[in-house]
Amino acid sequence: MAAPRLTRRGLIAGAGAVGAGIALGGVELDRALGDSSGSGQVPFDGAHQAGIATAAQDRLHFAAFDVTADRRADLRDLLRVWTEAARRMTAGDLVGEVDALPAPPVDTGEALGLPPSRLTVTLGLGPSLFDDRFGLASRRLVALAELPPLPGDELEPNRSGGDLCVQACADDPQVVFHAVRNLARIGRGAVVMRWSQLGFGRTSTTSRSQTTPRNLMGFKDGTNNIKLEDGDALDRHVWADAPGWLRGGTYLVARRIRMLIEVWDRAALSDQEATIGRVKESGALLGEQREFDPVDLSSKRIPADAHVRLAAPSTNGGIKILRRGYSFTDGMDERLGQLDAGLFFISFQRDPAAFVELQRRLGSTDALNEYIVHTGSGLFAVPPGTTPGGYVGQTLLG
Amino acid sequence: MRNALGFAGGLSALLLLAGCGSSGQSGGAGSSSGPRKISVTITPAGCKAKPSKVSAGPATFSVTNDGADRVSEVELQSGNKILGEAEGVPPGLSGSFSVTLHEGTFETYCPGADQERWPFVVDGGPLAAGTSKAAAAAVGRYRTYLEAQTATLVARTRAFTDAIRAGRLADAKRLYVPARIPYERIEPVAESFGSLDPAIDARAGDVPAAQWTGFHPMEKTLWIKGTTRGLGSLAERLQADVRDLQRRVRRVKPEPAQIANGSVELLGEVSKSKITGEEERYSHTDLDDFEANVDGSEAAYESVRHIVAARKPALAARIDRRFDAVHRALAPYRRGAGFVTYTALTAADTRKLSQTIDALAEPLSHVGSIVVTG
Repeated sequence: MAAPRLTRRGLIAGAGAVGAGIALGGVELDRALGDSSGSGQVPFDGAHQAGIATAAQDRLHFAAFDVTADRRADLRDLLRVWTEAARRMTAGDLVGEVDALPAPPVDTGEALGLPPSRLTVTLGLGPSLFDDRFGLASRRLVALAELPPLPGDELEPNRSGGDLCVQACADDPQVVFHAVRNLARIGRGAVVMRWSQLGFGRTSTTSRSQTTPRNLMGFKDGTNNIKLEDGDALDRHVWADAPGWLRGGTYLVARRIRMLIEVWDRAALSDQEATIGRVKESGALLGEQREFDPVDLSSKRIPADAHVRLAAPSTNGGIKILRRGYSFTDGMDERLGQLDAGLFFISFQRDPAAFVELQRRLGSTDALNEYIVHTGSGLFAVPPGTTPGGYVGQTLLG
Repeated sequence: MRNALGFAGGLSALLLLAGCGSSGQSGGAGSSSGPRKISVTITPAGCKAKPSKVSAGPATFSVTNDGADRVSEVELQSGNKILGEAEGVPPGLSGSFSVTLHEGTFETYCPGADQERWPFVVDGGPLAAGTSKAAAAAVGRYRTYLEAQTATLVARTRAFTDAIRAGRLADAKRLYVPARIPYERIEPVAESFGSLDPAIDARAGDVPAAQWTGFHPMEKTLWIKGTTRGLGSLAERLQADVRDLQRRVRRVKPEPAQIANGSVELLGEVSKSKITGEEERYSHTDLDDFEANVDGSEAAYESVRHIVAARKPALAARIDRRFDAVHRALAPYRRGAGFVTYTALTAADTRKLSQTIDALAEPLSHVGSIVVTG
């Protein structure tokens, strides 16, 4: 008996007409928003890569890779097959057929029967890729340099850097794991995984249709994030527009920010609120009533070193970044017997200098520093989006 | 629909990277006759194959478990030798395995069922002449290797156990690794003889303490207690077991697909127990085993390489390069005839070695399907 041909969508359709309708209906919805039912599909191709100006999904699996292949053609092949696999997975398809019984299955199978879950796969290129291995040294953009040492850094080399990165986001944890696992498997021999991070809950809002979530400190943070409905703000602060291979792309900064949970939990509510600058329960600025009341930094109620004051664009010469972070935990820190948890911060900006300037200010004066430490870091250039049949990085390697 | 279109493009693109060539054919059923498809449904009563009589040639067994709680595997056996098996198939799950069948009488065996053994008959059927010639060359080559390794195993185990019986501790420790190397090179074959592998190679905790025999209890006494005393009967038993292995190996006729799968299993051994330092936890000579597994994997692959090279030249070339990469990765740790101890490795060292093995094992895992199809 031949093994049945399995497709994720086939199973969904088999589950009933309603399921199929939801899966297909997502295609017609706005690309950025995806289908808010959680089963929808975010189209892969477009002017910009998906997963940036896309309504933040609930789950993250982020991975950084080093390239071990030594030929430029190998790097190009890798980005081609990664792009094609990502295109298929975001559509809810398997990365390949599962019909040759004597061979290992091409798709690992754990996403069988699961809808696309608004999966996005965003690929980035690290500064270390631009050396002489692939003849890319002359193509390195000035801004694409390792981040300078920043106050608050206690970076672990095993959680930092990388030639390439994959940001997989979806509303289902198994779907994001499946995406990273299969890309790692496809890339075996051409890349090795350098580090990886799972995120279990979004901490950012990137659409006006979303409510502001809470981070692990219990606060609403990022209320005034750039939203995907703000086309002007995206153009001004996120998308790179200088001529060249990155035009239409952006820079991704990733920071693994460990929270000293035990210390934070001992802080009085008044201290917690003074540290952030917001009321814990409502999310309103101190002295205000509602979360979305306008920020008035002249208010004496907000301390000089409150996080909300120091992070506000008006404190930073108008600098804005698109934040897209996730809460994480890696269980327990074995050395200390404490929870190893915090914020896996991800931001997108047209120039990494925006992040550096913000973090210089926050890292030296933010009251929050008493409760956090930066343990991992990565900077990646995120090439522009693709047309059907094209691949991410084609503007650089094509 | 985009589904169908994306499918073909994606598959060929993926196979290109996986090194499976770009001929466009799917990796599975190859020739017009194709592999025989046999289904085995495990029930509480047993595991009758359907059909239970087929003609010789490549065959794929699809196994499903229909509510048999006490049974979780099916083996295809000839005498008591395992030709193929699907393990870990509890109720509701399915599995499969592939073999090339030759004329003869076999059994499907499902331990725990009311009737555990079910007859399975294979008629003589023509294999394509070219295929059988290439397959015969592969089998002949690998059999020669197996016999050479078992002969070395018996001789070196003799030297090792002689030193133990004579109470020469330093010699026993020096002769331990050379005796193990031929075993580590052919371990999957030894594993096909059921209880022989645990008798020779079980680690502490794998078997009840009273039944712990073979190399490792002796390793523990030699390195931890620093004596040969009390090891006489273990030495006798080990010597008898490796000679038993040698006798049984003479009757083995592995199929090309089994040889190929064995080459992948040997790399699985590296990933599971060598690169973790688990195998040689007292002597810390894991890297010697590591290399022996890789050498055995390479010898198995070399036996079938001509079939791969004829059908998927790009894959063969890729696998060659990745074997080279593994040897290069091991080179810095070589000391004299052996290697540094496992305890001298940093986490960065083991990580690099482990990822180099994974990079090789991934394309190698496709070889079985290429040599099994006609």
